Amino acid sequence: MTRPSFTAAGSLIVALLVLSPIFVLFLLGWGAELDATADVTRLLINTVGLALATVVGSVLIGVPLAIATAHCRLPFRGIWLAVLVAPLAIPSYIGAFTYFAAFGQGGLLAEAIGEPLFNIEGPLGTALVMTLYTYPLVLLTTRASLRQLDGRMVEAARCLGASLSETLWRVVIPRVRSGIAAGALLAALYSMSDFATPAILGFDTFTRVIYVEYNAFGLDRAALLSLHLLGIIAVVLLLESRVSVDRESGHRAFEMELNTVSRSLLQILMSLVLLASIGLPAWVFGAWLLDEGATGVSLSLIWNTTYPALLAAAVTVVAALPVAMYATRGGAGRWLERISTLGYGVPGIVMGTALLYVGLRLDWFYQTVALLVLGHVLRFLPLAVGPIRNAFGRTDKNLVAAARGLGASPWEAFQRVSLPLLVPAAISGGALVFLEVMRELPLTLLLRPTGLETLTTELWQVFEAGYFGRAAIPGLLLIAISSIGVVLMMRGERQQVSGGAS
Amino acid sequence: MDRRSLLRALVTVPAVCALPGASYAQGPEASEAVAGGPVSVTSLPKLKGKLTLYLGRGEGGLYEKILESIQRRNPDFELRIRRGPSTALANTLVAESRFGKPRADVFWSIDASSLGLVVEAVEPPALDDELIALLKPEYRYERWLPISGRFRTLAYNPNSVNLSELPDSIMTLPDEDLRFGWAPAYGAFQSFVTAMRLLEGDDATGAWLESLKARSKSYAGELNVVMGTSQGESDIGFANHYYTLRLLQGRPDTPLGLAFTRGDAGCLLNASGTVILKPSTRARDFVRHLMTNEVQGYLAREAFEVPLLEGVPNPKGLPPLASLQPPRVDLEKLADVRPTLSLLRQTGVL
Repeated sequence: MTRPSFTAAGSLIVALLVLSPIFVLFLLGWGAELDATADVTRLLINTVGLALATVVGSVLIGVPLAIATAHCRLPFRGIWLAVLVAPLAIPSYIGAFTYFAAFGQGGLLAEAIGEPLFNIEGPLGTALVMTLYTYPLVLLTTRASLRQLDGRMVEAARCLGASLSETLWRVVIPRVRSGIAAGALLAALYSMSDFATPAILGFDTFTRVIYVEYNAFGLDRAALLSLHLLGIIAVVLLLESRVSVDRESGHRAFEMELNTVSRSLLQILMSLVLLASIGLPAWVFGAWLLDEGATGVSLSLIWNTTYPALLAAAVTVVAALPVAMYATRGGAGRWLERISTLGYGVPGIVMGTALLYVGLRLDWFYQTVALLVLGHVLRFLPLAVGPIRNAFGRTDKNLVAAARGLGASPWEAFQRVSLPLLVPAAISGGALVFLEVMRELPLTLLLRPTGLETLTTELWQVFEAGYFGRAAIPGLLLIAISSIGVVLMMRGERQQVSGGAS
Repeated sequence: MDRRSLLRALVTVPAVCALPGASYAQGPEASEAVAGGPVSVTSLPKLKGKLTLYLGRGEGGLYEKILESIQRRNPDFELRIRRGPSTALANTLVAESRFGKPRADVFWSIDASSLGLVVEAVEPPALDDELIALLKPEYRYERWLPISGRFRTLAYNPNSVNLSELPDSIMTLPDEDLRFGWAPAYGAFQSFVTAMRLLEGDDATGAWLESLKARSKSYAGELNVVMGTSQGESDIGFANHYYTLRLLQGRPDTPLGLAFTRGDAGCLLNASGTVILKPSTRARDFVRHLMTNEVQGYLAREAFEVPLLEGVPNPKGLPPLASLQPPRVDLEKLADVRPTLSLLRQTGVL
């Protein structure tokens, strides 16, 4: 299995699949003429600026929270982690809309405190809201890397007299750079491809022109503009230098015992992040709910939301394995991995339309759950590839060599040595995909079978019709399901740890 | 009017209809026979079998109520609904047609430009005369059926504008010393500018945009435009008629009025409508249901939509239709948004 030919072939197939909708974009955008007056330069600056601000914000929040949830002794650590990751299940347009409704003169919050408030809008507001809904990406990828660290290095640093903060800064963080980078890259890509948040908060980014063109029936120009956006994303991927991955043989976990003051401070910090990302939307929903009353949600909605997301998560992890493994060999593997990332940067509505054309070529495939799942896989592949590649890069090749030397076949070595070492990363990657798929909207709207309604499409419908209160129950359900997903992920990790110890 | 009460005003209408019982007391099933008006739903044959409807949403909550009660009346009828934004569904229909794999029987869109695009790309068969004859003569189209209308209006703030001093031509509006509110990225505004291009030409439209630009505040949507006018941020807001009527319904004391120009794009009557993509008796009968007295009365009453057939009462708060003079515009041509976008960008409005 670790033979290059095998992983190379798998990786190549996945990359070709990712390229197929992009190829459709070329066909759709062929011959389109762009309006010279569309102020592309300004949009480019805005888009890149937003991506940078989002990266800075999500790293500043995500990395400390990753360290806290991975290595600090905290009461209810598992629950903290579950709720801290839950913002990933909140559709960003809901987050943005609740901020729009809560702040500003006459906003809900201003009314509650009886003072006129500033607006959350423009570049700063967009970056803030974007950060609040992307930091979990950094949190999860960083945490997955942290858990692979050898605790003895930390102990050594401490024994040699380094303070805790010095140890974190000089020993721990440099060794999880690739995990941080993977999460930051995802946050950047997300911020560049999401159009709802900038649109609601009034900030002009590249996706806005794409959306205006799409709505003006300029599918060809929307496709061409998406290719421009892909160009920017390709540059970002190039800039992402090859962060070297340190290999560590030992995996002794380390725990940090915090004193009461720093533990309290940490918990206050985590509460603030939660208040901003989940508390405020939940409170706004609550206010609407009181105004209007709720209506029930059918069980079929929950099932329709969960099973395509689970399928997509599973298929994505399987597709990510060869890509991640081949990527650690460098060269062509790294290129194929970068190609597999491109789908994440195509705005959902454009990706959905492109896949619609792919689906229409194959009648049996069109408007089926299979096409919907494929769409999610192609779009969210990097969420799984990143963590798995990092984990794989860190596993000791000597272990595989030893297994082979002892007579194991490549498949057996993969199954008994490599795979168990990859399980935590695969689970966390899969969980990321699961959470993102649940909140995804445009792709689902375009590719689902007719009549398949999910919690997200339900949210969209009630919002569109102005029944804000009715958005509360599906919104809270999304958060609940995602929390369950994170708890399951934690259990998987724990089993892995205890299994490894035995 | 603050943001919260705007939100409340917007949800008041659907919230009332959403109450179980209330929706049926005054819902589309309540029959109000109007002499000489459209037929009652009871006179139509029962619907049977399966029908796939692509529903391009907008005032979606109310359309949903209508579809629910049609389902309830016709237990043997299975309606498979694909909901989505109008443009996305129009693009889907064009793609399906290009590959010869149509899935939808009927497309119901709130947006005439989406319908125009589909009609042009899909070329559905012509509707029969009996169906077309349901509509007033000026709203008859060969390949799609308008369901209800919406007027372009000038929302004005009576505290700063005297209605009698407003010009009745949209083209002389720039001569007035007024501040304006508009939503250039919004589809309804773009349709209005497209209509102006069709009626007055690109140069005049460009000059019009140019001269208003410095005095106009941009908003994300036309709800915000109307709200801005009522708050005194502008004297005149360019918006569809129902935003004003719904705001006034939620808060009758809001300083807001409706003004109409005459015979130009300023009082364009745009329409929602249906395209029958796969002709069948079932599809035809389904569309007939939307043209009944019950459904039309419900749309006018609850959504403030303008009836396009004789004998349905006008929405409350709208002047008598006979007193209004919408321009003659081929609504299908509103799909030609491209030059409008160029113009909006050239003038720096978008």
